[in-house]
Amino acid sequence: MTTRAEFLGSIRQEMAKTRGLFDASPVPRSADARQAEEVVRRQMLERWPQALERFREEYEGVAGVFHRVSSIGEVPGVIRRIAHERRAKNVLSWHPGALGLDLRESLGCEGLAVSVAPDGHPDAAARATHRDVAARAEIGVTGVDWALAETGTLVLVSGTGRPRSTSLLPATHVAVFGRDSLVESLEQTGVMLEALHVDPARSMSGAVINFITGPSRTADIELTLTRGVHGPKEVHAIFVESR
Amino acid sequence: MSDASLRTPFPQRAHAALEDAHLQEALGIATTKFIGLRRESFAGFPEGEALRDRARAIKEGTLLQLDRHLERLADNIERLGGHVHWAATGEEARDIVLRLCRDKGVRMAVKSKSMATEEIELNEALEAAGVKPVETDLGEYIIQLAHEKPSHIIAPAIHKTKGQVADLFSKELGGRFEADPEVLTAVARKELRQKFLEADMGITGANFAVAETGTIVLVTNEGNGRMVTSLPRIHVAVMGMEKVIPTMTDLMVFLAILARSATGQKLSSYTTLVRGPRQPGETEGPEELHLILMDNGRTRQIAGTLREALYCLRCGACLNVCPVYRQIGGHAYGYTYPGPIGILLTAMLKGAASVKDLAHASSLCGACKDVCPVRIDIPRMLVDLRAELQRKGIASWPERVIFRFARRIMTSPGLFRLGARLGRVAQRPFVRSGRLSGLPLFLGQWTRTRDLPPIASRTFSERWPGLRQTKDLDRP
Repeated sequence: MTTRAEFLGSIRQEMAKTRGLFDASPVPRSADARQAEEVVRRQMLERWPQALERFREEYEGVAGVFHRVSSIGEVPGVIRRIAHERRAKNVLSWHPGALGLDLRESLGCEGLAVSVAPDGHPDAAARATHRDVAARAEIGVTGVDWALAETGTLVLVSGTGRPRSTSLLPATHVAVFGRDSLVESLEQTGVMLEALHVDPARSMSGAVINFITGPSRTADIELTLTRGVHGPKEVHAIFVESR
Repeated sequence: MSDASLRTPFPQRAHAALEDAHLQEALGIATTKFIGLRRESFAGFPEGEALRDRARAIKEGTLLQLDRHLERLADNIERLGGHVHWAATGEEARDIVLRLCRDKGVRMAVKSKSMATEEIELNEALEAAGVKPVETDLGEYIIQLAHEKPSHIIAPAIHKTKGQVADLFSKELGGRFEADPEVLTAVARKELRQKFLEADMGITGANFAVAETGTIVLVTNEGNGRMVTSLPRIHVAVMGMEKVIPTMTDLMVFLAILARSATGQKLSSYTTLVRGPRQPGETEGPEELHLILMDNGRTRQIAGTLREALYCLRCGACLNVCPVYRQIGGHAYGYTYPGPIGILLTAMLKGAASVKDLAHASSLCGACKDVCPVRIDIPRMLVDLRAELQRKGIASWPERVIFRFARRIMTSPGLFRLGARLGRVAQRPFVRSGRLSGLPLFLGQWTRTRDLPPIASRTFSERWPGLRQTKDLDRP
């Protein structure tokens, strides 16, 4: 088996032959990731309404359904309507601590079976149970870390109470977000991700960050666009004006 | 592709593809559609050109310090609880996967689309070792059921009609399915969902790996990349070592142009950033993460003629615009990577001799270079490759004789004039309606499929004095 030293050694040998041929040209970025993040935050305090409008446009452009409500209390009503239209019975959501909302109280009595993801450090049995629940769920409700306007993308960081499959296994994904999570561009998203990774508390939270742009899709058969291959067929984003 | 099909010489493989009316239609529709989607996407994206320059600069800069970036990537992955393996050859990469399967008692592995695992023919090796590999990208799933190979980097089954897919599914999965992409996709969803939940191992490639954060990045539209990295207990990623990039900021530059180049989307449906196995407190995710860093002929090109091919993002844009690919499709090339970039990658992985014929399967029109998101100069490298074949005596003897002859004539003005005079006489029997055709001997191979303009009755230098006079007269 090749060792790390051997592998890198042969690369170095070849690199020595090319030294000075090309200029190294790294992309400029801020030396202080946290400070750069703060700059973006401040910009977005003013620019979020335009970003929200752009997000809506782009999200609808990738077949997402956009909703706007004035307070978090109205979110269960939107989910109820979505569930009724799809005749869905099983709703799974992130843990209330991660979502900022407990759907069990508001939807549980509506004939819907609402489950929430486990919090803390789930043991093997709890993880297996959750997997069965997730596999059966028809609607998955999550929060959003960043809503990226220029591409209509939702960025979700996995972690405690925030399983990665809630936005993947159910046929319908509903994401709830506020103005704090809006960013305009991929460039700004890069700034946010750089800041996340220098913060030890946040960077070790979960192993996966997903950029979700519309429903799961394929065009592998005769280039005919078809939705819901493996992930959700349908995606909804609910914007909450004030939390 | 199997050795049997490679025993057929390339001209015959290409000829068979040209005769296949169905393939011709599918190729025409698919490539034209991809070209349009890409063009539209960049038309509304003025910053795209600058981003392409920047992306290229990142690739150049990364290669300059490749050893350091790989070390950093490996250190970070290990710090996050993952394992890093170093594979000098494709065979070694395969053995690492097989050993993991053996040690961990893996019986079934779900795979998301990965050219790196195609490159090392991992599926065949897994099957031989008693592990069932299941391709989960719809296109890859179709061709796996059909026992075929991908014909396009990003649309592996474009050569199949919905009718053929319906027949295939009906036969292989039991049932009678309508030839409707919607129905067929739903069938695959149901079939594969079960596999995701049952599999012991998930195998992926990597579109990028960010050195500074230890992040493996997967770009998919179907969501299978997410399934494969979330549900099985082991995740193995096989990655060509040149896929490493320095930072998250760099990643954003590539994301902004990759999907636009491939399918015309602003972003693909899912971009998945994986950092290590399941972290404490997480409900899901694999217990183990393994990254296999693969060389397989790449290091040789760091200082070689094909260096720029190491920038490739595998978007497939150069395939769609290539007049040769558009006519013959992916299978005729005979190797894992088709199209203009595929010729270079094949030469990189299997040596220059393997592309003796393929090096000429290009008109050098430069369309590939124009659409490449990182502006890889494919035509220049194809010319370099042809020169290398010539120099090393790999090219066929008539080719070598002709080029030696041509060089001798073209480097001597006297011989050139003489040659032109003789040629004018010698060509007479073969000029038909203003074109040279049906040349004798081995030259006939050239004119069988191409018309050449005949040598003009007067050379440019002979005409020049007259031209100059006319021009002087025209002056007021």
